[in-house]
Amino acid sequence: MEYFGEQLVNGVVMGGVYALIALGYTLIYGVLQFLNLAHGELYMMGAFFGFFTMTALGGPSASAVPVAVMIGIMFIVAMGGGALLGVAVERFAYRPLRNSSRLAPLISALGVSLFLQNAALLLFGARVRLYDTGQFIDLRSGISIGRIRIDPTEMMVVIGALLLMAGLWLMVNRTRLGRAMRAVAVDQDAAVMNGIDVDRTVVWTFAIASGLAGAAGVMSGLLLYPVDQYMGVFAGLKGFSAAVLGGIGSIPGAMLGGFLLGITEALVTGYLNPTYADFIAFLILILVLLIRPRGILGRPAIAKV
Amino acid sequence: MKKRLALGMGGLAAFAMVASGCAGGSTSTESSAAAASAPAASAAASAPAEAPVCGGSIAVMAPLTGGAASIGQEQLNFAKLAVDDFNAANSSTYALVESDTQLDAGQASTQSTSIVSDSAIIGVVGPAGSQEVSAVGPAFSEAGLGFVSASATNPDLTNGDNPTFFRVVPTDAVQGPTDAEFIAGTIGAKKVVVIEEKTDYGTGIAKSVADALTAAGVANEVIAVPEDKKSYDDVVSKVGDDVDVVFVTFQVAAKSEQVAQSLVKSGKKAVVFGSDGSFSGDFKTGGSYVSAFAPDIKGIPAAADVAQRFSDAYGEFGTFGPPVYVATQSILQAAQRACAAGASDRAGVLAELKNTNIAGSILGGDIAFDAMGDVNGAKFYIFKLDESGAPQLVQ
Repeated sequence: MEYFGEQLVNGVVMGGVYALIALGYTLIYGVLQFLNLAHGELYMMGAFFGFFTMTALGGPSASAVPVAVMIGIMFIVAMGGGALLGVAVERFAYRPLRNSSRLAPLISALGVSLFLQNAALLLFGARVRLYDTGQFIDLRSGISIGRIRIDPTEMMVVIGALLLMAGLWLMVNRTRLGRAMRAVAVDQDAAVMNGIDVDRTVVWTFAIASGLAGAAGVMSGLLLYPVDQYMGVFAGLKGFSAAVLGGIGSIPGAMLGGFLLGITEALVTGYLNPTYADFIAFLILILVLLIRPRGILGRPAIAKV
Repeated sequence: MKKRLALGMGGLAAFAMVASGCAGGSTSTESSAAAASAPAASAAASAPAEAPVCGGSIAVMAPLTGGAASIGQEQLNFAKLAVDDFNAANSSTYALVESDTQLDAGQASTQSTSIVSDSAIIGVVGPAGSQEVSAVGPAFSEAGLGFVSASATNPDLTNGDNPTFFRVVPTDAVQGPTDAEFIAGTIGAKKVVVIEEKTDYGTGIAKSVADALTAAGVANEVIAVPEDKKSYDDVVSKVGDDVDVVFVTFQVAAKSEQVAQSLVKSGKKAVVFGSDGSFSGDFKTGGSYVSAFAPDIKGIPAAADVAQRFSDAYGEFGTFGPPVYVATQSILQAAQRACAAGASDRAGVLAELKNTNIAGSILGGDIAFDAMGDVNGAKFYIFKLDESGAPQLVQ
């Protein structure tokens, strides 16, 4: 039972990272019905922004500021940098194609994805960077229940993911900007007629989604350590899958999908074989979609007749 | 507004073109010295008494982009340094042709076609992975093109199927028993978990170590993991409290560090022992072990200058780069001998590769090949990482 609990914790923690990436996918899709396939690369850039901030503050073993402050600054820079990058990508790669066929922005997103990977290779070099979390956080501290240990970074990932999801949900459902986002999602022309600045709303959507990707990048670095220019490819795929599994466009669905994917992987690794983890996780995804095409918490699309 | 947008798009596109230039899968030429694609040899007609100026193109097949780009870039940079050093010392004009394989057999096979069709190429450094060597072997054999790998360690590669293949590193058949003997004897482990990364490299070394451990009477369990796995906490959860050593077979040292840190935070007593792919500054958890096909070259007098100049020019390096310097040297020296003998084509270089003899190489010994293309007398070294993460030679 303790072993099960241990693997459950492992799954929930990885699920938290997937869920954060999924939130960005789902937010953009929910507003624009557009798959931002470069979202994984914004997560990668966020991880690099966090790493270089840590280095600028003295590095993992000799931080010039208290550790909590350093981590806070890392998140601020990664989220801010991610948001700015996301806005730039929207402005130059997606907005000019907004009124073209649905395929054009998708191809553009693929191009942006490759562009960001190679820009990172060019700017930061090919060397894998390590967060070295163990040098500034005592990984043996935290909570222990028998064999089950939850270290501070794991707690931070899960609590952070839940808080960000709650904040995003409140923003979408309880604020003026959220109302504008929902209006744009339903009908952009009608939103314009009601005085909503669509461009501004879309910019905010990309900024928030990309900021979340930046936060996920730092969380991933603190939890898993290595950062490289291709880390976004597979993570993006997992985040996208989590969003689809939970019901793309649904914020709680993205969280649920992320946790389900993470837990499935951990349990398959723990009880079967690590090489089967992706196979079984994606098999479940396919089965869920066959039974419920809009995902677990997705709502059926309403077509105007 | 439209003008600003156009300028922005133009800037983005220009940057994309620059950035994508380093990611291509196709062969691109980079000159390390003065000439780019010089003919194999050309004597100055007006000065018949002078020695011929030798030159030619040497392809470097490495994962320059993709998940193993950190390895490939290090290998490429060591090849560049070797060519620059050789040209400076011999007034020659050899140049490199970069070939990005992305550590993928299919990509390597595609690249081999363009290398074979480029008649200026007289030898190949690489490819890096055993699976890639298997993929390019038939084409290079048919073309009579000699190729020297600095990191392909699968023992089967030198069974006669690849007659133009050579390597400057010992095989897994050497590494596995060496590591297993140390784990059983010096560490005194009773139970070992082998984490086998599902690559040609990982599978080969995992089998070699597991077989040798079994022969030594050490209980062992092999856990296979996919190459793209990101978190190892769930794998470490499978490691029992009675396990003494976790042997890892990654080609990226950062993954070994992930496993070591995961063991630390889970409070398990097992120490990590990394195969040669883990020999890098990224693997630094104190008390861990790592094997390598050479002692740390920074500690070898013959290599100190090369190590220093590489660090100055390109930064830190791990275990995959230095052998490329030696592999490149072997081709350059063979080409130079072939040129002096007036046979500076592929056949001439291949014939001379078999006569390779690099005395006092930067890997700490002489480099010569046996009849099958394996390096003579190669052995593995074992290091223990001290509390600062620095490797200390223990065997």
